[in-house]
Amino acid sequence: MSLGDRIAADRGRLSALLERHVLWLTALLMAGVLGVMLYVPVGVVFGNAVLEDGVPTLSHVADVLTDPFYFGAVADVFADPLAIGTHLGSLAAWLGAVSITLSLEYPLPGVDLPVPWLALETPGVRKGLFGFTAYQAALSTVASVALGLPAAYILANYEFHGRRTLRSLTILPFVLPGIMVAVGFYAMFGQTGTLNTLLGTVGLGPFAFIETNPLAIVILAHAFYNAPLVARLTVAAWESVDVRTVETARSLGASKRRAFRDVVVPQLAPAVLTGALLTFIFTFMTFPIVLALGGLQLATVEVWIYDRIQRLDYTEAATLAILETILSLGLTYAYLRYESAQAGFSQAASRPTRESLVPDLRTTLSPRRLAIFTYGLVALVVFVGPMASLVVGSFTDGSGVTLRNYAFLLERQLEGESFQTLPLPAIRNSLVFGVATLVIAVPMGVVLSVLTVRAGRSGTVIDTLAMLPLAVSGVVFGIGLLQGLVFGISLPGGWRLQMTGAVAIVVAHAVAAYPFVTRNVSPMLANLDPAMVESARALGASRFRALVDVELPLVVNGIVAGAAFAFAISIGEFSSTVILASGSESYTMPVAVERYLGRRSGPAIAMGTLLLAVTAASFVVIDRVGGRADR
Amino acid sequence: MTELRLEGVSKQYGTDAGGTTALAGIDLTVRDGEFFTLVGPSGCGKTTTLRTIAGFEEPTDGTVSFDGTPMTGVAPEKRDVGVVFQSYGLFPHMTVAENVGYGLRFRDPPEGTTVDERVAALLELVDLERMGERNPDQLSGGQQQRVALARALAPEPDLLLLDEPMSALDARLRESLRRQLTQIQSTLGVTTVYITHDQQEALAISDRVAVMSNGRIEQVATPQEIYREPSTRFVAEFVGENNVFDGTVRTRDGDRAHVDVDGTTFELAGPSLPADGQQTSFCVRPTALTRGVEQNQLSVTLETCEFRGEHVRAYGRWNGTAVVLQLDTVPEGEAVSVGFEPAAAHVVTSQ
Repeated sequence: MSLGDRIAADRGRLSALLERHVLWLTALLMAGVLGVMLYVPVGVVFGNAVLEDGVPTLSHVADVLTDPFYFGAVADVFADPLAIGTHLGSLAAWLGAVSITLSLEYPLPGVDLPVPWLALETPGVRKGLFGFTAYQAALSTVASVALGLPAAYILANYEFHGRRTLRSLTILPFVLPGIMVAVGFYAMFGQTGTLNTLLGTVGLGPFAFIETNPLAIVILAHAFYNAPLVARLTVAAWESVDVRTVETARSLGASKRRAFRDVVVPQLAPAVLTGALLTFIFTFMTFPIVLALGGLQLATVEVWIYDRIQRLDYTEAATLAILETILSLGLTYAYLRYESAQAGFSQAASRPTRESLVPDLRTTLSPRRLAIFTYGLVALVVFVGPMASLVVGSFTDGSGVTLRNYAFLLERQLEGESFQTLPLPAIRNSLVFGVATLVIAVPMGVVLSVLTVRAGRSGTVIDTLAMLPLAVSGVVFGIGLLQGLVFGISLPGGWRLQMTGAVAIVVAHAVAAYPFVTRNVSPMLANLDPAMVESARALGASRFRALVDVELPLVVNGIVAGAAFAFAISIGEFSSTVILASGSESYTMPVAVERYLGRRSGPAIAMGTLLLAVTAASFVVIDRVGGRADR
Repeated sequence: MTELRLEGVSKQYGTDAGGTTALAGIDLTVRDGEFFTLVGPSGCGKTTTLRTIAGFEEPTDGTVSFDGTPMTGVAPEKRDVGVVFQSYGLFPHMTVAENVGYGLRFRDPPEGTTVDERVAALLELVDLERMGERNPDQLSGGQQQRVALARALAPEPDLLLLDEPMSALDARLRESLRRQLTQIQSTLGVTTVYITHDQQEALAISDRVAVMSNGRIEQVATPQEIYREPSTRFVAEFVGENNVFDGTVRTRDGDRAHVDVDGTTFELAGPSLPADGQQTSFCVRPTALTRGVEQNQLSVTLETCEFRGEHVRAYGRWNGTAVVLQLDTVPEGEAVSVGFEPAAAHVVTSQ
């Protein structure tokens, strides 16, 4: 064998070796990337909370746990956990003082509209920061379920024009930037907002909705986000109810109502509970909405952590972050356990038929239909109102149509100082970060899908570990990146691991986004007939070739959908961006919106409208590109 | 071509304590050019055996060898096997011709032919000449099945493995396809392992059959032997309908034996009969248990009769034992007297 032959043979062997192990090499690379991008930052935050000058300590955690400011009445329990008698005594005294009253109230000042008001009178109890966070999350969950269930009922049981579109649109709030929604609520409910303008035409108001009851507005904004989620999950469950099970119950003697209660409700309950649990988790970690609509007077844990960071009190921020992460991880774990305990929604053999919503005038005027239309009106105010008001509000002020808001943005762009927040760099940053996020998050998500779907039981473990970003809040992750990677970490041998704010922002976005790529690709990959891959392999394709030739072309739709999610998440991400961008020029559109939110909300609303336009335009582009790849 | 040999192949899933045994030591030789069928009820390990041969599963113990070369650790793509799955596994994003040509991306077509010629020849072989530009989902089930067969054969595999390839098709189509399959197989002379749960199909198409149960091979023989001389009770009951009686040998004299079943004595004739005093089981086919035979009489209480066109199948009981008969006409009355020739009984081992 000549030397040339030997080199060629070696090269052939090497490439064969590489090809055989390419999946495991990518897995290793993936673990490395995740380690640096995800686990190091979270570890840094953890270290901050439990290390003092390199010595492990639990004193910071203990300080927070026993501080009534954070844990309210429960702090006493943490301070002295063994004094059970005392704690039970104070609980009993509190329960004894609870009273429930029913009265007629007139909630709208100046309007003679009596509303029966069920008042739950509880003696004041100090909830503390964590208690309040859980309290608002619970209220938001109730509101989301209350708003979501009627929507699910209508979408699952009635046929009307645009039903399918409406059903698809329930995914939309999920990808809308939180800060934009907050500004939309300003435009709707603010002093000069749409609602006050409408009320003004009938001689009422103006009312200071946000200022007098910020909690109610925050909860409504949370419902804007999460009610569609509840509706979406419930509709899916409802559509998978096999109508023959209901018919069987009816033929066995159950009334319509009884069959609904005995057969349909038990099949819907898991979906509703899943929706409620997810809503609670999301609203427990809420940030931009509370920050923008409530500010510090309505602080949740997340907002308070942000405030501590602004004051450079990293230890306290880290301690709070750890406690918050433990709580949200616990909730997420509960959710995953619950989710895996249910059987997946099987497609119903025979779906229920849908009634027409407006068959004729008489049916249309029946009480049930009128109730549906009333709900539709409420939904219009809550869901369409804020977004429409955002656009309308950017062109109006209290008195009439104006371009003043955009003029302000233009003027700021042309004449603003470099330390000020300028509109164009914000748009440019958002788009650049979005594209960079795509480039990182899509391969990461796809590789993760491939690894977990094919790995069997060990895949579930990897899957859970890699889904950590869903349970770690953006603010926590933001501090971790700031302290870990932006400030830099010393490595052995005099090396330093350090990155700039812009790079850190892309990393943060990619880590937040890749789970959504995985979530979109994995189910499609898992549904592929394994006989296809095995046929390819028997025909001579390596595992990697089979992946490229057979599996990836068949899940391209999932990849495109995942990419759309990733881009939307990058465009809308606020929590970690606002931390990493502070004091630098790498602010994005959502950060700019927040910075413009001052005494006058006009400029912020205009910036929010720009954000809406850019988001919408990107979706059209991704849809076009994806459509082409599809063909 | 290729001789396939399995020696002591076992497959264990999970750890020793909580694991399950899919294969408990399989020994098998499939001769060069043979049409060999593995038949058994679902869960008997036949598919695991096929996947082990193809290389999708590594055996926990034992070796698979092709022409004496052990295949341990050889990846599926290096084994030169053609596989047709029950679900066909056609690539929906490729045309029929692209599907058939896929294997030729990795292996050269036979000398003197181009890829296109090879694809065209294979499509002609399975009677799908003009379907090359279609997508798989535009074809009927039977056509898809033939595309899968053509695809598996295109790279000239050493071994053709077919995993229940017809079970998704209706009965008539299955019959015509299996005639086509045996024809193609004997023309090409490729060593073939066929998996099915349908014992009739196994008998109809195979050179030899292996009956499997619980991860073991019960019997390997030609279809005639399997049917006429089942070696175990399981084979007797699984292949075709059968009547199995358990009894004790009273006397044995050369190729004659008297066996006592629940107080009734039957006379059996044939080679290799068990010795005096031994427990034994023997089987008699419904076709052999007929009216008008004087020997070995039994009176069967009838329960149901099925008219099957050419004959009547009658189900009943004798002394509490379920019995199935084949009769010419539906009998009158609730009982029928039948008998069997001593040589019609066949002794089986109870395991």
